[in-house]
Amino acid sequence: MLKPRTVEELAEMLARPAKHARTIALEGCASKRLMGGPTPQADEYVTTSGLNRVLQYEPHDLTISVEAGLPWRELTALLAKHRQMIPLDPPYGAVATVGGVVAASSSGPRRRLYGTARDVVIGMTFVTLEGKQVRSGGMVVKNVAGLDMGKLMIGSFGTLAAIAVVNFKVVPAPEVERSFLLPFDSLAAAIAARDSILRGVLQPSAIDLLNPAAGAALGNRAWLLAVCCGGNTAAVDRYERELALLGNGVAFDGERHDSLWHYVRELTPTFLSQHQHGAVVRVSCTLKELQSVMEFLPGVALARAGSGVCYGYFERTQDAALWLSSAARRGWKGVLEFSPEEWKQDVEMWPAPGGDIELMHRVKKLFDPENLLNRGRLYRRI
Amino acid sequence: MLPKGARDRFAALLGPGNYLDQPDDLKLYEYDGGVDKHAPDLVVFPRTALDVSHIVKLAREYRLPVVGRGAGTGLSGGAIPREGGLVVAFARMNRILEIDLEDERAVVQPGVVNLDITAAVEGNGYFYAPDPSSQRACTIGGNVSENAGGPHTLAYGVTTNHVLGLELVLPDGAIVETGGKECDLPGYDLTGLLTGSEGTMALVTRVTVRLMRKVELVKTALAIYESGEDAGRTVAEITARAITPVAVEMLDGVMLRMVEEATHAGYPMDASAVLLIELEGLREQVEEQVEQIREACLLCGAREFRVARTAAERDLLWKGRKNAFGAVGRVSPTYYVQDGVVPRTKIAPTLRFIAEVARSSGLTISNIFHAGDGNMHPIILFNPRQAGDLEKARGCGEAILGYCIEAGGSITGEHGVGMEKNELMARQFPPETLEMMSRLKLLFDPEGHLNPGKVLPTGRGCLEIRQQPLTAGTPLL
Ligand SMILES: Cc1cc2nc3c(=O)[nH]c(=O)nc-3n(C[C@H](O)[C@H](O)[C@H](O)COP(=O)(O)OP(=O)(O)OC[C@H]3O[C@@H](n4cnc5c(N)ncnc54)[C@H](O)[C@@H]3O)c2cc1C
Repeated sequence: MLKPRTVEELAEMLARPAKHARTIALEGCASKRLMGGPTPQADEYVTTSGLNRVLQYEPHDLTISVEAGLPWRELTALLAKHRQMIPLDPPYGAVATVGGVVAASSSGPRRRLYGTARDVVIGMTFVTLEGKQVRSGGMVVKNVAGLDMGKLMIGSFGTLAAIAVVNFKVVPAPEVERSFLLPFDSLAAAIAARDSILRGVLQPSAIDLLNPAAGAALGNRAWLLAVCCGGNTAAVDRYERELALLGNGVAFDGERHDSLWHYVRELTPTFLSQHQHGAVVRVSCTLKELQSVMEFLPGVALARAGSGVCYGYFERTQDAALWLSSAARRGWKGVLEFSPEEWKQDVEMWPAPGGDIELMHRVKKLFDPENLLNRGRLYRRI
Repeated sequence: MLPKGARDRFAALLGPGNYLDQPDDLKLYEYDGGVDKHAPDLVVFPRTALDVSHIVKLAREYRLPVVGRGAGTGLSGGAIPREGGLVVAFARMNRILEIDLEDERAVVQPGVVNLDITAAVEGNGYFYAPDPSSQRACTIGGNVSENAGGPHTLAYGVTTNHVLGLELVLPDGAIVETGGKECDLPGYDLTGLLTGSEGTMALVTRVTVRLMRKVELVKTALAIYESGEDAGRTVAEITARAITPVAVEMLDGVMLRMVEEATHAGYPMDASAVLLIELEGLREQVEEQVEQIREACLLCGAREFRVARTAAERDLLWKGRKNAFGAVGRVSPTYYVQDGVVPRTKIAPTLRFIAEVARSSGLTISNIFHAGDGNMHPIILFNPRQAGDLEKARGCGEAILGYCIEAGGSITGEHGVGMEKNELMARQFPPETLEMMSRLKLLFDPEGHLNPGKVLPTGRGCLEIRQQPLTAGTPLL
């Protein structure tokens, strides 16, 4: 395992094997071995975990620049000291590195209000197989100088280049955060409540939907809307009053609020640790389609109901793959997001890519003509 | 000059009324909102993506440069065919194809005017967030190409944060879709890569955008200062207090007087600067924030802090801001706007530097800009008939942008690089970065047909990064 300590070393450790057509596998701290396509058998293994410095942080500029191997929890802890945050809420947040979170475009509940990595990354340095350090963007929140190449790295699963440095814009943490768990006896009722929130003036940061199987662990076998709200006390009180009109809910503050969102954020890691053969599918859908997707998911299921992303949990990977192909026949756009490593070669992970897959292959070829880097990591299509 | 026979082939392809080839007509397409000029050889008006596809195929046969054009409000020469050839004007692809409020999406053709999207949905309580000051004229296609911002970018993000899908025509005529109505589609974010590519990689023929729900309460305040630097310091103070306005715009004294004379927006004529600050959200939140902002402004030396009491008062304040360039036009025959960005804590020293540049050049430079995110717009007034003035103005612009780079910022926050700042790219980025951009551009446009001579240094400047075209006839993509 190669562990560069500087960006220059990283460049060298990629360029040298690449020159001899040796395959390379990249990782941060390997928290996402179950995520995406297979972690390749490679000639060289490179970890970014030695690149773990904070390079620049001026709280009043609301920006921060860090190396890719910095643990996500250290980044969030540092920001929290200044009452700031990057609210991506990724799963595996306690172990993941910054580079891994960005390369997998991990996101979580509060994406409804704050977006995903593509909305909060303002600059990046990545290293190509030629050993070149490429800089995209910068340290200012608005910047259209040249192509936004960082966008290509977000969600690329390290198949194009190695992310070395990431610059983020940060936001002030809300004065108060409170959450609400609203139970409904039917999916239709939960969706109707969601719609009335979306149509109103309240702006919750998260609107997650848990099916009864997902809610069971919270002691509530109903369809649950988990809503997170931030603001000053008066605003949060108002959320409480108005959300109460939608259902007979419970409000969560302080530690109970934290543990609710910890449960939701970490549902995937928890499920996979309990089900060795388990798998998780992810479907991107419109807000309208979300009801049918959730209805169609047989087991534990969770949705970012204000954004249109559904996660379905399966105890057996074969069932997940079967479900995914039938979802694709309905025109839904899904992937096998998490699965055991021994299954990854045998199942279809990304059944229905769009018409732009051809362009994606060309982009891959530009960066990595010999297909050396993280081969197959992008749901085995790339 | 069009190659022999080309005009007739285009005429046959498009039919009468769908192209312009007379010198007088072509002259209208030789400029945009910036200071550069070059006339096209032909202007075409497609109505569908298929038209666009046929057009680029034919252009490719004759090896003609192809330059997209929206409303021509761009400020960096993006829509200027600097090497002649074809201008593809999207004025007739101006339909809103779908409004889908339940999914918070609209699907539009590229020629749709920015403000028309909001106009179409505001009755239902929605809006399209990116709001360039030119939003009454500029098009979504132009916005996507430049990754346009606006005053409310501070809270809502720029165009790229609101575009989910594109339909594109590649230089070989292929029609491709990226992204869609859904978010987080797996694979490379080609939509994100193409947004802001300034028409150098593909022509945009359809755009899927996010619609947002209008907020409950909007408060607009005007803070008035005796010193521009105090206004600059206020921006840092607002951030330090973790207040999150949706817009913080600054106008300096010179600008105030020009704007007030033209618009009668109620700006003070004698002040050195004002901040126009907007807060939005839930009533409880906004009311508290107005007081916090008042405190921050007064602490930093504002002599007065007013809050617009009615929607009419608020609109008037914004009218002053959004019509500012028009107001400048009344005073100076020509002006040159820059678009550098600095970290927000460096606004005050940057203003000082700009004042110094103005003093030593003898030109008037006025500032009106998106202060909340550090996006400066120094407006350099000059008289083109005065020998050497344009060159002097360009010199001032370059000096200011050099300063922005040194301060850790960027040469452009929203207007794009175009043909105006492409040589400066080599000062902001190392050669490896420029080379990667160039390879990505050539991946999409190997023959270099699309908007040639833009964004990347041409090699005529300080650095040899060539946008080297392949020879015609090699297979594209
Ligand atoms: C008074 C004034 C105020 C302004 N304020 C702002 C502001 O606040 N924020 C901001 O960001 N900008 C601002 N601008 C700049 C300008 O309005 C924006 O850059 C806008 O996005 C340009 O849109 P347009 O339709 O006029 O595009 P054009 O100027 O016609 O073209 C701009 C670029 O887009 C390309 N292009 C256009 N359509 C297509 C297409 N369909 N496919 C591919 N490429 C295409 C062109 O080739 C060119 O490179 C302002 C300009 C003026 C004059």
